[in-house]
Amino acid sequence: MSEEVPEEFRLLCMLHNIGATKWEKSLSIQEISQWTAMETSSIEFHLQKLVESGYVQPIEGEGVGKYHLTPDGIRKVLTLYS
Amino acid sequence: MKICMLTWEYPPRVVGGIARHCEGLAKAIAHEGHEVYIFTLDFPGAPDYEEVDGVKIYRTVTELGHPNFLTWALLFNHFLEKRLGQVSQQVKFDIIHVHDWLTAPAGISSKYRLGKPMVLTVHSTEVGRAQGIHNPDSFAIDGMEWWATYEASKVIVTSSSMKGELCGHFHLPADKIEVISNAIELTKYNISIDRQSVRSRYGVGPHEKLVLCVGRLVPQKGIEYLIHAVPSISWRHPEARFIIVGEGWLKGHLEYLAQTTGHGWKIRFTGFIPDSEVIALMTSADVLVIPSIYEPFGIVALEGMAAGVPVVASQVGGLAEVVEHDRTGILVYPRNPESIAWGVDRILSDPGHARWLTENAREMIQKTYSWEAIAKKTVKVYKEVGG
Repeated sequence: MSEEVPEEFRLLCMLHNIGATKWEKSLSIQEISQWTAMETSSIEFHLQKLVESGYVQPIEGEGVGKYHLTPDGIRKVLTLYS
Repeated sequence: MKICMLTWEYPPRVVGGIARHCEGLAKAIAHEGHEVYIFTLDFPGAPDYEEVDGVKIYRTVTELGHPNFLTWALLFNHFLEKRLGQVSQQVKFDIIHVHDWLTAPAGISSKYRLGKPMVLTVHSTEVGRAQGIHNPDSFAIDGMEWWATYEASKVIVTSSSMKGELCGHFHLPADKIEVISNAIELTKYNISIDRQSVRSRYGVGPHEKLVLCVGRLVPQKGIEYLIHAVPSISWRHPEARFIIVGEGWLKGHLEYLAQTTGHGWKIRFTGFIPDSEVIALMTSADVLVIPSIYEPFGIVALEGMAAGVPVVASQVGGLAEVVEHDRTGILVYPRNPESIAWGVDRILSDPGHARWLTENAREMIQKTYSWEAIAKKTVKVYKEVGG
């Protein structure tokens, strides 16, 4: 059985690691790219899937879209460690 | 006594069984007249301090970003220790109780700073969860688990199987380990629900059979083996519908696997749902399957029994101690879809026997698994170590 962690889940973990776990800590795609050294196009692609799955919440902040984990997103990340 | 309890999860931050265990234990100890202070991590919507049912709960924010999980764990321990240090200026703790390695660094340093004994509850081990030590992170976690058992005055585990695991893997002396089982709050399950309305919310018709599975979607829960069993179960019971409750990093893979069985449309993944809804589903199900390959205790079996649903569980770890085969539930071989299908068939084909099992199970948990009894045993351990 393949148990490889999907790419969007890696991004979810990185968002958790860099602290985007609540509304006031939301980050823009540009900021996420700086933190994670990922291409913005790749971040956009995976974020869309994470938003659709309910693991990431998009908000509008200072004129740009920002993102943070939802409670379900936090729980999903933590299952990796428990 | 003034008890300082450290745990990385406490409701509403619920990841696995530790949150519910700590909540049940803390409330019961507080009810016995002791003061319980929980130090845990923050969660969206939860206050940084509150008192619930006599338990004082301090939630700590990890203020710094972190490149990986282990660094994060060490960082949040620093912030937990800081919060504990602030509170300990006003409160003279008698004992420090740590749950799993995740909060052990804060517990150990507080033990030395406050000069108070530390008790550790090991809920599971890395070698068990990961079924071996396969990478550098696992190696480090395994080391921290051993270190925590070494520093603790007494180690509590929830099953004899877990005691055996610690004696074997960490070479702990058997008399350092106390087996105190998990428990559940039975009153939460004495609810009156409209079974049909719950089932219809999840698309299960009145003449269909609801096969329920509740657990984190991670390899140790063995959910893939239940999915592999779906064709055999469906062949014997075409009316069976499968609901899998829980969240986890393996979800995408399991959803894909479900589609490959040819019965994907019968299998529904709900994701995380609140406790009240889990209880409603358990109360409405025809059978609860627990296909774990590693389970130090298996509290979900007790929850199912309390809800009155017949339980089919793998014969592993604590599950094999909680479920008495063909008296309080059905035990099946782990990693074996045919055995799971056999167990489910045994329940669905004989409703009279299923009912008898649930009656026995409920009687057994009332006698053995109350938080009141578990709290008394835990306080006895605190007193033994000089708390």
